[in-house]
Amino acid sequence: MEAVRISSIRQGMPTPYCPGCEHGILLKLIARALEELGLAERAVMVGSVGCSSLAYEFLDVDYVQAPHGRAPALMTAIKLLEPNLTVFSVQGDGDAGGIGIGELISAANRGVPITVLMYDNMVFGMTGGQMSPTTPMGMTTTTTPRGRGRGAEGPPVDICDVLSSLEGPAYLRRVIIAPKPIKRGENLSYSFKPVMDSYRAILSAFRAQMKGGFSFVEFMGTCNVNWKMTVDDAKVYTHEVVSKVRPPRLCRDRLGVDT
Amino acid sequence: MTEVEGNREKGEGGGLELLRGAEAIGLAALMSGVEAYFGYPITPSSEIMEFMASEQGDPRFPRYRAFVQASSEVEAVNMLMGAGAVGHLAMTATSGPGLSLMAEGISYSVGTELPFLIVDVNRGGPGLGNVEPEQSDYAFVTRSLGHGGSRAIVLAPQGVEEAMEHVNRGFRLAFEYRIPVVILTDAIIVHMRETIRIPAIEEVRPRELEWTARGRIGGARHLLTSMYLEPHEMRSHKEALMNKWRRIETEVRDFECIMCDDADTLLIAYGVAARKARGAVADRRKRGMRLGLFRPVTLNPFPWEELESAAEGREVVVVEMSEGQLYEDVSARLGPLVKSIAVPGGEIVDVEEALA
Repeated sequence: MEAVRISSIRQGMPTPYCPGCEHGILLKLIARALEELGLAERAVMVGSVGCSSLAYEFLDVDYVQAPHGRAPALMTAIKLLEPNLTVFSVQGDGDAGGIGIGELISAANRGVPITVLMYDNMVFGMTGGQMSPTTPMGMTTTTTPRGRGRGAEGPPVDICDVLSSLEGPAYLRRVIIAPKPIKRGENLSYSFKPVMDSYRAILSAFRAQMKGGFSFVEFMGTCNVNWKMTVDDAKVYTHEVVSKVRPPRLCRDRLGVDT
Repeated sequence: MTEVEGNREKGEGGGLELLRGAEAIGLAALMSGVEAYFGYPITPSSEIMEFMASEQGDPRFPRYRAFVQASSEVEAVNMLMGAGAVGHLAMTATSGPGLSLMAEGISYSVGTELPFLIVDVNRGGPGLGNVEPEQSDYAFVTRSLGHGGSRAIVLAPQGVEEAMEHVNRGFRLAFEYRIPVVILTDAIIVHMRETIRIPAIEEVRPRELEWTARGRIGGARHLLTSMYLEPHEMRSHKEALMNKWRRIETEVRDFECIMCDDADTLLIAYGVAARKARGAVADRRKRGMRLGLFRPVTLNPFPWEELESAAEGREVVVVEMSEGQLYEDVSARLGPLVKSIAVPGGEIVDVEEALA
C-alpha cells in the first residue's frame, strides 16, 4: 500500500487512542477502502458507544450516533429507505456482542445489505477494562478479578459462530488486525500482513453490501492498557494465544467477494 | 386494504365514514406520506401494525415502502431514529411496556433532534398491568420521556377523527421542530368504530433536509449526535434545545374550552375522559347547571396559561382515568382547592355518577 493522503481522514486530529491500540489502523483502512471503491461521498457511518464511538473524529463521512449497541437497527432503516447509500458501523465487542447482540442478530438474519465492522479487544476499553462477552477464559479484568470462569460469567461468545448459525448473512470473516511481532535475536520487528488481511476483509465486506448482502468482520485487536501488558506483549499474546481460540477464519462468503 | 373513496389522498376533507381507530390512524399516516413503519406487536396497539402491514404495496401510497416487524421495541425505536436521520417519515405504535423500552431511543432522538411519530395506546399499569384503557402514561410522556431531560411533543386526541388529524399534525410538527412526537391514545380510540368526517389531511413533504445524513457529496459531512463531551458544549446544546422547546410552547400548545364563559364549575379532562366529561356538561346544562370543560389537546406543551385564565374564580374538577396524575399537575399549578375524579384500572370514568 503506497503512502497517499486519504481524503476521508480528517486532517490534524490528535488521536485519543492509547499507544499500541489498533483502532487507528482500522479507521485508516476503512477510509482507504471507501475511497478505493468510490463510496466515501455516499457513505453513512452509524456509531457505537465505547472507544469505537470516537471513529467520527477521524473518518470524514456522514455520521449518526446510535445508542449503545443499536447501530444495526438504525442501519437497517437507513438502508431500506436510502438503498444507494453505503451504510456501515464501527462497533466494539461490548457494543456489538453484548448489549447490542439482539440488534446484530436481527439485522444479520434479515440480510439487509449493511456492513458491521467490529473491533474485538475482548474488554470494555473506555470504561476501564471490564469483562466483555468475548473475554477469554481465565483473563483477569476489573470485573473478573480472579479471572473469567471463576464466577457466573460463562465462556466467551464467538460472535462469528453465532452469526454463522443464521442463513441471512452473506459475508462473515474474522481477522487479526494487530501487527505480528517477529523476534530476531534481541530485536522485535513487526509483520504488517495482518493489516493487509484486514484491509482485504473490509474491501470484501463493502463489496458484499454492494452486491446486496449483509456483511460482518471481526477484527481481533489489542488493548494493552487494560490487559495490563506492554504494547509488544499484547501483540505477542494476540498472535500466540488469542489466535488459537479465535483463529482468523472466513465463516461465510455466499456472494464470492472474498479477496 | 381499506377502500377509500374520493380524493382523500389529495388532502381534501371527505364525507362521513365508519372507521375503526386503528385503520383511521394508519390511513391518516399514509395520506400524510408516511414512508416507513417499524413496530413490535403489543396489545392494544397491534391492529395499527397489522393495518400497516396490509397496506404494503398499495399503489395509492407510493411513498410508503418500508415495513419491518422488529425484534423488540428497542429495535423499532432505533429504526425510527435511522429513518429520521435520513429525513423520511416513519412511525410506530406501541403501548406502555413497549414505550418504556423506547425511552432510550427517544432520549437519543431528542438530543440528536430526529423526527418521527409514536402512537402510544395507553394500557393499565404499572408493569404488565392490563390491556384496558387507562390514562396512566400521562406523567411518563409529559414529564420526561427518557433520561437527561428529554421532552417530546404529546398530542391527545379524544376520538377517531381527531386521531387522524393528530397523525397529520404530528408528522408536520416532528419535521418542523426536529423532535419525536407522541400521540397518546387508548384502547377505546384505537378499537372503536366511529362514524367520522375524514379530516383534511395535507401530505407532509419535509423541506430543508440539508442536515440529514445522506452522504457528504460535494460538501461537508453531516454529524448527527447527542454526544457533547465538553461541559460548555453540552450546555450550549442544551440551551439550544430549551430555546426550541420555548418556541414549541408558544407555537404548538392547543386546547378546547366548552361552555367555559359562564361556568361556575370547570371540568378538566383530555382524551376519552374528555368525551365522558363533555357528555356530563351537556346533560347538566339541560338541567340549568353551569358546567364547563377545559380540554388540553396538547399535553406537552400543556396550555397552562389558558387553563389558568379559564379556571379563575371557578370550582375546578380534574377528570381522568388514572390514579390522579393530571390532578397532581393541575393542583400544583392552581392550588389545593382543585378536586379530583380519578378512576384507575381500566374502567371508563362515569363523570355523571362521580359529580352526583
